[in-house]
Amino acid sequence: MNKKQLNQESKPLLHVEHFSFAYESLKNPLLHNLSFTLHENEITLLMGASGSGKSTISLCLNGLYPEAVEGFARGDIYFQGKHIQDFPKGKLNQEIGIVFQDPESQFCMITVEDELAFTLENLNVPASEMAKRISEVLQAVDMESCKKEKIHELSGGQKQKIALAAVLLLEPELLILDEPTANLDPVSSIEFIHLIQQLQKERKMSIFIIEHQADDWLDITNRIIVLGRNGDIIADHHPEIAFTEKRQVLEKEGIFLPKAYDRSLDFDGPSPSPVAKDKVCLSIRDLSFRRKKQPILQGIDLDIHQGEFLAIVGENGAGKSTLLQLIAGLIKKDSGDIDLFGKPISKWKESELRKRLGYVFQNPEHQFITDTVYDELTFGLKLNGFTQSEMDKNANRLMRQFHLENHTFSNPFSLSGGQKRRLSVATMLDETPDILLFDEPTFGQDANTTAELMDMIFDLKTNGTSIVFVTHDMDLVDTYCESVYVLHDGKIAFSGEPRGLWDQDELLEKARLRLPYRIRKHTKAGEYYDLIH
Amino acid sequence: MISSINPSIKAFAILVPGILLSLTFDMFTPLIYLLFVLVVTFGFSDVSFKRWMKIFAPFLLVALGFAWMTMLYTSDSFSGGRVLFEIWMFEVTTGAVMVGISLALRSLCFVALSLLFVLTTDSTKFMLSLMQQCKLPPKITYGVLAGYRFLPTFQNELQILRQAHRIRGVGRERGIRDKLNQFRRYSVPLLANGIRKSERVAIAMESKGFKGDVNRTHYHKMTVRKKDWIFLSVMIGSLFLVGFLSYCLGYLNIFGKTF
Repeated sequence: MNKKQLNQESKPLLHVEHFSFAYESLKNPLLHNLSFTLHENEITLLMGASGSGKSTISLCLNGLYPEAVEGFARGDIYFQGKHIQDFPKGKLNQEIGIVFQDPESQFCMITVEDELAFTLENLNVPASEMAKRISEVLQAVDMESCKKEKIHELSGGQKQKIALAAVLLLEPELLILDEPTANLDPVSSIEFIHLIQQLQKERKMSIFIIEHQADDWLDITNRIIVLGRNGDIIADHHPEIAFTEKRQVLEKEGIFLPKAYDRSLDFDGPSPSPVAKDKVCLSIRDLSFRRKKQPILQGIDLDIHQGEFLAIVGENGAGKSTLLQLIAGLIKKDSGDIDLFGKPISKWKESELRKRLGYVFQNPEHQFITDTVYDELTFGLKLNGFTQSEMDKNANRLMRQFHLENHTFSNPFSLSGGQKRRLSVATMLDETPDILLFDEPTFGQDANTTAELMDMIFDLKTNGTSIVFVTHDMDLVDTYCESVYVLHDGKIAFSGEPRGLWDQDELLEKARLRLPYRIRKHTKAGEYYDLIH
Repeated sequence: MISSINPSIKAFAILVPGILLSLTFDMFTPLIYLLFVLVVTFGFSDVSFKRWMKIFAPFLLVALGFAWMTMLYTSDSFSGGRVLFEIWMFEVTTGAVMVGISLALRSLCFVALSLLFVLTTDSTKFMLSLMQQCKLPPKITYGVLAGYRFLPTFQNELQILRQAHRIRGVGRERGIRDKLNQFRRYSVPLLANGIRKSERVAIAMESKGFKGDVNRTHYHKMTVRKKDWIFLSVMIGSLFLVGFLSYCLGYLNIFGKTF
């Protein structure tokens, strides 16, 4: 691997000394006694499990916290040798720019041009200079053609590039990236990381990346800082050292080890046990669907066998979620057949259909309808007139299975991200469904949550439930799935076993899919980037 | 073209005639002014008739409803004239019919005026103009603009929420109490997400150096030019002209007083 050596002589840019931060009381702080230094022209990566306060740090560094929230801070932060409290309002934000995680909520204007102008107006740049600077920065992020476009019509990856462009206009000394690729598809996120690498070379900025999955950033990272569950720093090293000497500490904290260092992946992946493909649960023939006269899906054929693990993949907008909604009978087809156990899905009674087909949405919160975990788990049973003791028995079983025993009477909205995800799956299992549909359930989840979830899903499959996944994660597809359907332009461009897909270079490129790590490892580093460009 | 008129001035040019019109109780004045607004809309802007009609048509029904109700329930001071016909216990007089039709025409005038504004004004420019001409603080104008961006996502989320609840079997519940519960179920996640998102946007704006102070440069300089003043005077002036015309013809009726 081609890593830059840590430059010990580089000047310190930002210095944090015994810094603690808490939302309620400093007795039990979220960030605890942090001390670290960021150097000029250096790329530092901050890792930590979700809930460890990673994102809070970035807002403390640029002085927005603790003022913007009701929080308390102790300790000192110096930027270029000057205490951050001594900077006039708005000045520090200009030196330290942040790109945030959610592409949907970091803009305030309608068009790209206006959004960039908003930043320049904040800086009181004369109007006559603005057009020139907007063109320049759009050129730098390779988005000149989108100048007049509306931001909400752009793709996630394009939105993040615009967010980056807006921050670059500040000409910051330090660029903070707060999980900027967490909501992007794999190919867009690789493109974004390349852009960052290129910009860093040109502009010599310091970069501070906050991320729970280090893999793709490893090649450009000089140093890794790891934040523990208690809000203190448990490692601060060159990546090589952090992931070898400190690996046990990191594993214990639930940090996602980069696949290059994860020995458990060294064997060539588990081969999914083949299922007897004799019993078809659901079959789709020549299915078409239009929205506002625009064809979304055309001529789809698909079979779901009993106990099968099936993935539907493809780039954003290819129609994956629409197909899933059609399978679940949530929207009506235009033509073709969808048969569940030999009977058209439209002929099924709603209550029967919901017993047979479960659906887990991307955002678990959308599925919560009651005030306690217990009520969530018994809601369906209650509707179907089960007795109290049956409901108790069922709820207890599910709570045990999904590690929610200590939260029986908690409000679903107050659970942690991982717990919410587990609960949303558990609510679908009150009466074991024959088919369980998942819409990107692992998107934006951290390592531990993903692993837990996949274990539970795999158990279900082993017990005979068919699993259908819409996902961008080819590693999951490679590890777990027996069959994969690639959607492209509303048609099925590939169907079959995953291993048959990995050598179809042209198709992978067209559908913007990224090879799983297992396959990539065999090709030389750098070569797989050709997949994109 | 109307779309190039300064939005703040345009807002005044719509508001003032609107308020003045609400004082006229005869049929003639709003009818002529409505025709005038239509001429302005289709003669001096590129609003397509089809799009305009789509929004306007439902209001035609509403206006008819207004007219009908007013006709039946006119207050005694207006319901003079001979009795035209009787329905059940209501006597409909010529006065009542006049007041009813006048109200319908007035409401159509408001709708046409509002459409003239809405269909020819860019929301961003309107906010920028409120900030630059009417000195509205940037905190408010940019706040509104940021909120405006949420509308499409909000709609989308509600749709997903409906589907997710349907999967859980929510639709199978019956009764008013359950329907009320339903409303609460939608509002909690929508509100929770809304608050989270707005917090994020606020932080993103601040981290781009937004301080909310009035001294800032403007990429789109909103100016008030001669044609804006001409537009304003034409819109208000013609109302007075129409008023004068109906006075000459003896129709004018302001707040129940004829001249």
